[in-house]
Parts: sequence; structure tokens; C-alpha cells
Amino acid sequence: MSLGNYGRARLRSGLTTAGVAIGTALVVLLIALATGAEDNVRRSIFSIGDLRLVTVQPFQPGANGLSAVPRTITDDTVARLKGVAHVDGVYRQFDAPLGMVVEGGDDATIRPQGIEPGAPVDRGDLLAGRHLEAGDRAVAVIPGNIARLVAPDAGAAIGRTVTMRIGGAVKLGTTRIGGSGTPRDYAVKIVGVFDEQASQTSFRIPLDDALLAGAENRGLTPDAIRVTTGYSGLAVEADDSTNVADIVKAVQELGFSSFSLKQVVEQIDQGFGVFKGILAGIGGVALLVAAIGIANTMIMSVLERTREIGIMKAVGASPRDIRALFIAEAAYVGVFGGILGLALGLAGGQIIDRIIRELNPRTSPAAIFVVGPDLALGALALALGVALVAGFLPARRAMRMSALSALRYE
Amino acid sequence: MDTPLAVEAVGLERTYASGHATVAALAGVTLGIRRGEFVAVMGPSGSGKSTLLNVVAGLERPTGGMVRVDGEDLARLDEEALARHRSKRVGMVFQAFNLLPRFRVVDNVALPLAFSGVPSAERTRRARAMLDRLGMSSRADHRSNELSGGELQRAAIARALIGEPAILLADEPTGNLDSANGAALIALFEELHAQGQTVLLVTHDAQIAAHAERTIRMRDGRVVDE
Repeated sequence: MSLGNYGRARLRSGLTTAGVAIGTALVVLLIALATGAEDNVRRSIFSIGDLRLVTVQPFQPGANGLSAVPRTITDDTVARLKGVAHVDGVYRQFDAPLGMVVEGGDDATIRPQGIEPGAPVDRGDLLAGRHLEAGDRAVAVIPGNIARLVAPDAGAAIGRTVTMRIGGAVKLGTTRIGGSGTPRDYAVKIVGVFDEQASQTSFRIPLDDALLAGAENRGLTPDAIRVTTGYSGLAVEADDSTNVADIVKAVQELGFSSFSLKQVVEQIDQGFGVFKGILAGIGGVALLVAAIGIANTMIMSVLERTREIGIMKAVGASPRDIRALFIAEAAYVGVFGGILGLALGLAGGQIIDRIIRELNPRTSPAAIFVVGPDLALGALALALGVALVAGFLPARRAMRMSALSALRYE
Repeated sequence: MDTPLAVEAVGLERTYASGHATVAALAGVTLGIRRGEFVAVMGPSGSGKSTLLNVVAGLERPTGGMVRVDGEDLARLDEEALARHRSKRVGMVFQAFNLLPRFRVVDNVALPLAFSGVPSAERTRRARAMLDRLGMSSRADHRSNELSGGELQRAAIARALIGEPAILLADEPTGNLDSANGAALIALFEELHAQGQTVLLVTHDAQIAAHAERTIRMRDGRVVDE
């Protein structure tokens, strides 16, 4: 019966439905845009690294580049961190002074990174050869671009020996800078070549080699370096990314600054949550206007059908029947409007996506608008919910109408 | 007799607040209508006869006294139960017909069944049977605004009878009809009565009241003569 009425006041119902559809479409578009942006940011973060990782930095907590207060990371720090719950592994890292490789007439600046076997940085990105192993000395895993200076391709570089000149002047871009200490040459055998997407300058060498180079550069012993300078950083691996926050807290309690992608992701999530909320709010205003439209249409409809309500009540419609009749009418507007709005939002997203790509063919993200099943269902539920709320008051008005006075209404 | 009266009222009152004064439309009505009776209520306008009918129909609540319809004390029914009373226990025919103009006749007749949970197909089947019984089957699929006054009132009677009510109530049913159609309608009431239907009819027309078995006269909210 209410469907019959929906059909009767076709133009009015149609306009009301269009209002809901536009509001829903706006909510869908805006949230899809925010979701698309979030997906792209997340995807690029996930490609950087592992969410289980916490990097310990040789500064006090809260330090940033401007106000960093140094703190020494020693073997004692490592031992303490190994005792923290949910810690799967602690890997020391020591960065030797910058250096150069000169091969085949070309030279390249390198950053020799002393790491332990199995360190998170030295995993799964090989083009050829192997990663560092326990007991290695005087070997290196080097980036692909430098391997191609040494040999025709990455595979051919394996087994070659190159000379790292550590300390002294290095080239940064086109300028040469003084560098640190007296340059000293170390011959290393290339055992592995990694994809230079991770780094174009990093030489992964055994920790002890790096400590020795650092010590010789400053005229100290490696043991003195371990105690006074300390390590450049620690990579602490959690058993699960959900426990990263606990480990970050433990690191800070030990007096060290830390960095974890997991926390960055959480901050980004929070930021996007606010962003989405604001966008949903803007769409929500459109839906609110639509809701007022529904309420207005239904109040008109109740007035117009006063006699009809009276007749229905007189022949046995209960207050609940009458309310259900008008709530159902509001629900039709909500459901039709929601479906139409969702379709409109999806189509609109596709069209805008195409226009943007047409105007800027280098647009990189896979999808600018992302509509997941939760957004689609959520939008439908929202449209229905808004319609039901808007329909409630007029429906109650119809329900409470006295049958006799409704019958006398002209 | 053990079977309850169709209508039983004792000291029935219905007052309205009108400004500071209260107006008594029913000022203590006591009456009984047996099952199968055809009773006419007569009286000038303002005598309370329509109010009496509306109270029996469950469209108005009494403010005092007691009224039972088919044994059910109406004062004890809540809004939902009163709605069921209207759909099942009584059938109401109005002077103004009160059919839904944009519905087909058969849908109008079936309407009360929709509110008592009868499935759609069954509703239509029963409505067609009822229209057939009243000689209206040829008009079943017309919209009610295509019907003449006499046909409209027949359709309204079909709607009133569809729930097989204990009592058929009619408020000036011939008021909007010409004399030929009015006479045909009264003949229909007599025929229904002959088939055992209890009828309570309100009129101010003595000629129509004369067709009833018994006439109750009202004035100023009271029964003055039975």
C-alpha cells in the first residue's frame, strides 16, 4: 500500500529520493577518495619495510634532528633489550666512515654498514650471490648499480674483489668534501648483490670489519669504539607487529629514542581517520538536507492522507499498522535513494578517475577512489537509517491521529 | 441465556470538554441488543445517537459507565486491542461511504483483512466472494471513484461484513443516496438481517427506522423511548 503511494506522488517521491541519492553519492565519493589516498600511502609504506621492526637510535627519547642529545648504545643495551618480552632478535649496526670505490675509471661514494648476519636490512632483496653469514670477514654485499661498475652484470660481480677506501675525501653529488680521518684501503670480496632500490650507496659488511675500520680511522681499538662511541643503531624485531608499542616503550625506558614504521602507520591511520571524518561530515550535511526533505515530504503526505488514515483506522488498522505504513514509505525512499546514490558515487568516481588520468597521464596510483564492501554497505545503511529517522516523526503523527477527527477532515 | 448480548450498555456516558463547560453527548445510556436483532436508533441531531454508534464501534471511548460488545468490555481494551475490535467484532458503514478512491473496489473490501493478518491472495478471494454475495462482482475491479452512490454504499457494506462481525453498524447509511437507492439499501439490510446478521442503524428518518424490528429513541444523550 505504501508502495502504491510512492507511485502516486511520483514526482515528489522522486525528488525526495534524488536528494537522498545525491547525499549518499557525496558520502561515497568523499570517503572513497580518502580511502584511495590512504591505500596509496599505506602501500608505499609497506614497500619500505617491516612493521615488526623497531630501530633504536643513539639519542635520548623525544630527540629530533635539532635537539638530539647523544646516548651511547653498548653491548649492555643489547643484553637488556634481548630480555624484553616479545623481542625476537636484536641486531647491532655500526656505520664506518664514508668511503669511495674506484673501479674501471668510475668512482662511487659508499656508506659501509657493519651488520650482523640475518639483520633485517640484509634480507630477501638479492640480485645475485648470498647475504652475509656468520664468520664472514672482508666480504661485502653491494648494491646493483655499483656491481655494474665492477662487472657487466650482478652475477658476474660475485667473487670479484674491490677496494673500499674508507675515510678521507668523498664525493657528494658533484662536490668533494673532506671526510673524516686518514683514508685507508680495505679489500673486500663481493659475495652478494642486492637490488639498488633499497640503497645505491650502502655496502653491507660484517660488523667487526666496520668496527675495525672505524677504530683505525680514529686511531682507537674496536673495543674502545664499542664502549665510547657505541653502535650506530640497533634493529629490534618484535615477534608480532601488535607488540611493537610495548617494545617502543621499553626502549624509551632504557633512555633511547626509537623509530618504528608501525607507529608511523598508526599516526597515518589516525590522520586519515580525522580526514575521513571531516569528509564524511561534509557528505553528512548533504544527507541531513535530504533527511529534512524526507520529513517534509512525509508530513505533507500524512496531511494529504488524513482521511485515508481515518478510514484505515476505522476498519481496524492499529496505531502500529499506521506507523509501519509510513515508516515503510520512508524506507523505500532510503533504500532506492541509497542504491541510486551508491551507483551514482561509483559511476562518478570512475568518471573523475578517467578525467584525472586524461589530464595527467602520469597519474601513478592504481585507484584514486576505493569503494570497499564495507563502504558500500555502510552507505546503504546510512541512507536507510537517515530515511527512517526522518520518517519517524511524521509516522508517529499519523499513528496518533484520532480516527474520528481524521474521518471528518476535509 | 448464556450467550452474551450483541451490545450491552449500562449508564454509558461520553462527555466532551468545550471551553470551561463539559458537554454530555451520552448522559447515562442503558440498553441491550440481542443477537440477530435489527435495531434502529432515532433522534434529532445532537441527541447522541452517532456518539453511541461510535462508542460501540470502538472509534470513541466512553468516559463513564460500561459497554460490552459481543461480551467484550471495551473500556478494558488498549489501542491495539480496540483496533482488532474494529477489524473483527464490528463492521461500520458511514454516511460518506469512506472508501479509498484510488483503490479498486475489491481492494477496498479486502482492506480490513489486511490489518488482521490474512494473506493477500486469501483477502482478495474472500473480498470477491463477498462482492458476489451483494451482487457487486461486476464492479470488483473498478476504482471506487468510478462507482455510483448506491454502488459505493454496497461496497462499503461488503467491506463492513468481510470480517464476519458480530454486529453491523450503520450511521445514516442512506443519507447521501436518492430515495430509490436508499430503499434498495434498506432492503439489503433487511435481507442481511433475515440471514441472521445483527444490525444497529442510526437514522433520523422514521420511514427507514420503520424497517427495523425495534426502534430506540434518543434525546439529549439519553434513551427516551424503546
